[in-house]
Amino acid sequence: MNEIILALPVFLPVLSGVVMLFHPWGRKEWDRKRELFIEGLVVLNSLLVAAAIGGGTDGGRRLVLFRLYSTLTIMFKLDSMGSVFAGLVAFLWPLATLYAFEYMKHEERKNTFFAFYTMTYGITMGIALAGNLVTLYLFYEMLTLVTLPLVLFPLTTEAVRAGRSYLYYSIGGAAFAFIGLVFVLGFSSVGTTEFMAGGMLDLERAMENRNTLLFVYVLAFFGFGVKAALFPCYRWLPKAAVAPTPVTALLHAVAVVKSGAFAILRLTFFSFGTQFLRGTWAQWVVMAAAMATIAFGSTMAVREVHWKRRLAYSTVSNLSYILFGATLMTPFGLAAALSHLVAHAFMKICAFFCAGAVMHQSGKTYIYELDGLGKKMPVTFGCLLVSSLSLMGVPLFAGFISKWNLASAAFDSGSGLGIGGVAVILYSALMTGIYMMTVIVRAYFPSLAEKVAAGSGGRDGQNAGSPETAGTDGQDRKNGEAAVTDPGWKMTVPLVIFAAAILLIGLCPAHLMRLLTMIGGEAG
Amino acid sequence: MEGNMILLLPMVLPILAGIVVLAGKVFRENRKYLTGLSVAVLVLELVLTFQALVSGGSLTMIRLTDQLTLELHIDQVSRLFAALTAAVWLLVGIYSVSYMSHEEEEHRFFGYYLIVAGVLMGLNFSANLITLYVFYELMTLTSLPLVLHERSREAVRAGLKYLFYSVAGAFLALFGIFFLAGVSENLTFTAGGVLSDSALAGKEGLLLTSAFCMIVGFGTKAGMFPLHGWLPTAHPVAPASASAVLSGLITKAGVLAIIRVVYYVIGPDRLRGTWVQNVWILLTLLTVFMGSMLAYKEPVMKKRLAYSTVSQVSYVLFGLSLLNPTAFAGALSHVVFHSVIKHALFLTAGAIIVTTGWTRVEQMRGLGQVMPKTLACYTVAALALVGIPPLSGFVSKWYLASGALSSGTGVWAWVGPAVLLVSALLTAGYLLPLTIQGFFPGHDFKGEEIEKRGLKGKEPSWWMLAPIGVLAAAALLLGCFPGSLISMLQSIAASVL
Amino acid sequence: MNFVQNFPFFSIILAMFSGIVSSVLDGRKARNLSLAMIAVTTALSAGTLLFCLGSGESYTFMMGHFPAPWGNEIRAGILEGVTAIFFGIIMFLAVLGGLDHTAEDVEEKKLNLFYIMIDLMLSSLLALVYTNDLFTAYVFVEINTIAGCGLIMIRQKGRSMSAAIRYMIMSQLGSGLFLIGLSILYDVTGHLLMSPARESVELLVAAGSYRIPMLVIMAVIGVGLAIKSGLYPFHYWIPDTYGYATPTASAVLSGLVSKGYIFLLIKIFYRVLGYDNLVSSQMVNVLYVFGITGMVMGSIHAIHETDTRRMTAYSSVAQIGYIYMGMGLGTSYGMVAAVFHIFTHSATKALLFISAVGLYEVSGDKKDYISLRGAGYRNPLAGIGFTVGALSMVGFPMLSGFISKLLFATSALESPHKMLPTIIVLAVSTTLNAVYFLRLVITLYSRRRPEDAPIPETRARSSWQLRLAILCFIGVNLVLGLASQPIVQAIRDGLAMFG
Repeated sequence: MNEIILALPVFLPVLSGVVMLFHPWGRKEWDRKRELFIEGLVVLNSLLVAAAIGGGTDGGRRLVLFRLYSTLTIMFKLDSMGSVFAGLVAFLWPLATLYAFEYMKHEERKNTFFAFYTMTYGITMGIALAGNLVTLYLFYEMLTLVTLPLVLFPLTTEAVRAGRSYLYYSIGGAAFAFIGLVFVLGFSSVGTTEFMAGGMLDLERAMENRNTLLFVYVLAFFGFGVKAALFPCYRWLPKAAVAPTPVTALLHAVAVVKSGAFAILRLTFFSFGTQFLRGTWAQWVVMAAAMATIAFGSTMAVREVHWKRRLAYSTVSNLSYILFGATLMTPFGLAAALSHLVAHAFMKICAFFCAGAVMHQSGKTYIYELDGLGKKMPVTFGCLLVSSLSLMGVPLFAGFISKWNLASAAFDSGSGLGIGGVAVILYSALMTGIYMMTVIVRAYFPSLAEKVAAGSGGRDGQNAGSPETAGTDGQDRKNGEAAVTDPGWKMTVPLVIFAAAILLIGLCPAHLMRLLTMIGGEAG
Repeated sequence: MEGNMILLLPMVLPILAGIVVLAGKVFRENRKYLTGLSVAVLVLELVLTFQALVSGGSLTMIRLTDQLTLELHIDQVSRLFAALTAAVWLLVGIYSVSYMSHEEEEHRFFGYYLIVAGVLMGLNFSANLITLYVFYELMTLTSLPLVLHERSREAVRAGLKYLFYSVAGAFLALFGIFFLAGVSENLTFTAGGVLSDSALAGKEGLLLTSAFCMIVGFGTKAGMFPLHGWLPTAHPVAPASASAVLSGLITKAGVLAIIRVVYYVIGPDRLRGTWVQNVWILLTLLTVFMGSMLAYKEPVMKKRLAYSTVSQVSYVLFGLSLLNPTAFAGALSHVVFHSVIKHALFLTAGAIIVTTGWTRVEQMRGLGQVMPKTLACYTVAALALVGIPPLSGFVSKWYLASGALSSGTGVWAWVGPAVLLVSALLTAGYLLPLTIQGFFPGHDFKGEEIEKRGLKGKEPSWWMLAPIGVLAAAALLLGCFPGSLISMLQSIAASVL
Repeated sequence: MNFVQNFPFFSIILAMFSGIVSSVLDGRKARNLSLAMIAVTTALSAGTLLFCLGSGESYTFMMGHFPAPWGNEIRAGILEGVTAIFFGIIMFLAVLGGLDHTAEDVEEKKLNLFYIMIDLMLSSLLALVYTNDLFTAYVFVEINTIAGCGLIMIRQKGRSMSAAIRYMIMSQLGSGLFLIGLSILYDVTGHLLMSPARESVELLVAAGSYRIPMLVIMAVIGVGLAIKSGLYPFHYWIPDTYGYATPTASAVLSGLVSKGYIFLLIKIFYRVLGYDNLVSSQMVNVLYVFGITGMVMGSIHAIHETDTRRMTAYSSVAQIGYIYMGMGLGTSYGMVAAVFHIFTHSATKALLFISAVGLYEVSGDKKDYISLRGAGYRNPLAGIGFTVGALSMVGFPMLSGFISKLLFATSALESPHKMLPTIIVLAVSTTLNAVYFLRLVITLYSRRRPEDAPIPETRARSSWQLRLAILCFIGVNLVLGLASQPIVQAIRDGLAMFG
């Protein structure tokens, strides 16, 4: 039972979260102790993950927890793909928690918030370490539940509405993913759903029911795709931007949505197997869906003026980059998908945290309110610049590497639709340029003529016409704005680390790519 | 990092200097330090560039992955572009010392001005397509603040337009790069192309599509139709010295990229006679004609010059599209000449704005009474652009036209020269009125405004006048003694065709 | 003859007898007697089950030792044992959980009547489970109906009277059809005991005679019991009935009564008509279509409902659709899934009704969404109970609903033509379940708005019985979800014994 280390990172945060919920830590004077406790716990957990990964990822390490049913085992297994996701999450979580402390400083009900926030860590680990489809499904459902309170956290009507649609979409998606689970179980060559590189279907039997199985694959793809905000099931994601920024950033840019993408990778490469899927109509359907989402998400992002929602749409589009890589169904495609999974995590969390920092410091949430903030919050916007360039896919940043991989994989696969996908990705990159760079330009180069107009109170530019009010308002606002500065170290340190990570991946991707190519080689 | 480290210097020095200028508080407050440092760096840059050009060699900067390597090298084309860049950058830098004193936030201008110099140098030295693309993107981003400098609503809008067009073009080109990376081991520039027939088997259609995407994509920077829309908007809103380098050199970055793609990666033979070549020629000729027409109808001087750039850079692209050695030499010579001439013209426009505040051509009647020396320089440059022998423009156009006639491209062989001729007439039509009205305002011209504002004989400062003079002289001398330049260009042409 | 073999008979008689005794007791004593009786009968059922497991086969038992056709016969096997225990447990918890509400809702004088009805209900349920005799079955179906009506009516508030009348009419319609079916069957076969009736049915089928009457029998019995168990589109009585009765009555009616009929139907299918005959006569396809329609339509009705109790009632329509869908698959796997879902739904629906009571208590006994806002904070245990129940209905792994869903889905794989529709409808229905159940869960945990009406202070906290019942129900759900293997095995063995 020395593989118990696989279970610890899952259960430690979950149990601690439950304890926190019932522990009377709600009082203000406990804030500091609670923060120390949580940060310590999260760091410890990340170290556990590191130790688990350090112990080897040959896929032979498994831990069976219990049997739900004769063929349904709840088990953990550490393979290299799981460890990429686990490592990513373990790296991001302590930093995001640090950021959350600062961000949530003035909120009520912090205890509840952090309890669920911590629990989510464990559940996400569960997804990363899940050894079979059933376990994955279990944690996938649990993830919906533990993150729901976080979306609901503001408890405003808007938040409740967002929470509801998040829940409906996720559960509905899981219901379709469940179909995939059942069929994989039914057609598995080993009688269980344990992940195997290259798939576990009994090909002989599967070929007899080929079209049914392909149909089921498409259903399950869309089912898991709900969490990955696949068109047409993306709606919950922009709505969920009402949640506090640490939630939108970590969960809706990384943990939750990446879980969806990760589940699809597991489904495609480790359950159905590319041998069965490649070249079928199912592949074209899901690939077309991913491409449509890429184009749609980035176009919507350009149209959106609310900053966090814009980033959410950007997430919609970027997640489908990952899915597009997956749907190429080649080893290189998987490697490319994973590289974007990693790169996008850093870029998007960085971008969201910048948005959060601005909201926290100045209360501004719309793009057109950001004029001139670049000078006042140099660290924040510096990091945003890095993240934006990376999202655009400028060389030397992480985003370029993943985009390069995706495109090469698409050309490599030789399919016509895949090449069309490259065009779509480039279109999306252009849109990304538009929606990210307008923010940057506004922040650094506020147009002089608009300085006065901005004084008339951002949202309603109509009364900009009356010079008197504009003048005095402008004065007030100027005084107010003068106070806007970079946030405290708890927020800036994570930001800087993320920006550095983006550059690091962009400049030295060789090791990462070697690892990912190896995973792709195993599973494709 | 392996290879000749000297190649790194002309690139790193200005970038570092630029960052220092941007960050250092002292440069924000003290103009002398700022301009002193900038000019010193630019002079040093010129020296370092020539040293690098002389020493030659190559340098591997960083290996991102096995496929993605950033490499620099020096060949004849990089020598041409680098020397031109370093020299002109210095002249415009000197001009800016005086010109920019009228603008706000000079340190930002100089900071980015220096950084762009370094990036351009990297672009010129690039040894493979990836490196080229990296510097191409960086150039877009670092030159953006130059466009945005005025920060008027118009400037911001123009800046964004510039950015989006450039990024769109870059991504279009990136499509081709993705494809090419898939069919070749590495994309190192080799005269005549690096692709092998075996890797391309069955992918010819895709190759042509990619080539076309790259030509149109990189053509964005060169203002080629259909992605030329940003140029007349973005160039005029920048400060004159920025407009000058944008028009004169940064557009040439697009040209350089196309040269590299067509002649050094894909290979001209693969494109000859294909639809890509035909469409490309058509696009360039359209752009030549359209640019001249629009310039002819444009009343604002800087915009007129911007349209002129659209037209003139497409002369270069036309020469390249013919895939003919003579035309190729003509195109490269036009790169040099147009760059010199257009800088002279834009700097003149800047001088006029600074001294008189006039922006529209019809305001400039009697300019000869205000700044005769400047206007004389302008006239020389304008005549050169029109292509009056023995000025420089004539040489390049001669080669372009004769190359077209001997290119064997069917109908284009005579349509091309005809369009060039019409465009030359239009060029005369939009550039020379300033000279004529400036020196010969007519009898009814009283020069009241000039009297009232005390503008008579008010030449710009020597900081500004000297670079204009040098450039005008260059336009003249290069036309008179083109021999060594042309022979160098012909040797390049021989190597790639 | 082992003594244990008398247990089924004892338990039926005991339940009936305590009903009779209760008529002369006061409410309190009747209540205690009732609880004790339920506990004892459950223990007796457990004894029966152990015996059957030990012997590995079922046995028949003649009441009063009169042989057929005069005597009544009952039969006990593994499946009967499991079901009886399960019904006993649910009944016990439902009565326990609703104790104080029953005391409030029912007039003091009539309280013992309520418990008489409970006793009779259990007696008839046990009889339906154990019977091996169609006529006995009919008698207890009627007793069950009467007891059910009594349970509904006794509240005497709101629409409970009209609900009871509606229930009565629909039930009588169902019983009537059932009776017609029995008559024809008797006419055709000459038997009312199941085993000989089965033999003659087989002979008739083999001979190919009486094909139309056989079809009519199947249809009439099927529809009759379907009406009584509330299969869509015969569900109109359900929302009112479950919606306006006392909490205990709602839990019992929704959790057990309809399941008793379904169990009887399954038994008749296997033991009288022969499941293979049903499959070959396409009868199962009819059930299947009704089932999947019910799964979707029940949920859609539930989504439109603003009264949460009626919503929960409509959800029963959907869940009963699941069961019929499983029966309609025409495979033994499907039948196992259906029987397992009987258990799942009983446990879950009773949990939902009982926890909802806890939530109504702290919301001024209002049942609409707005009043329930924030109720999860005011009564945490009830909130958790309701959440668990809702998640189980949605099919959250580790809870019983998940196993049901899994069983349905895997059994669907066995029947090629029904595979895809079943699975897709399952997914759609799950999504719809999520929409209405989880919407309520979110409401329970959202904050009250300033414009919401203040909550009248009704009750400080729930009675210990209610809380205990909720906890136990949660436990039952978890057991079904986590340790389903032996139960499913028992069902499988039990069904094998039927055949």
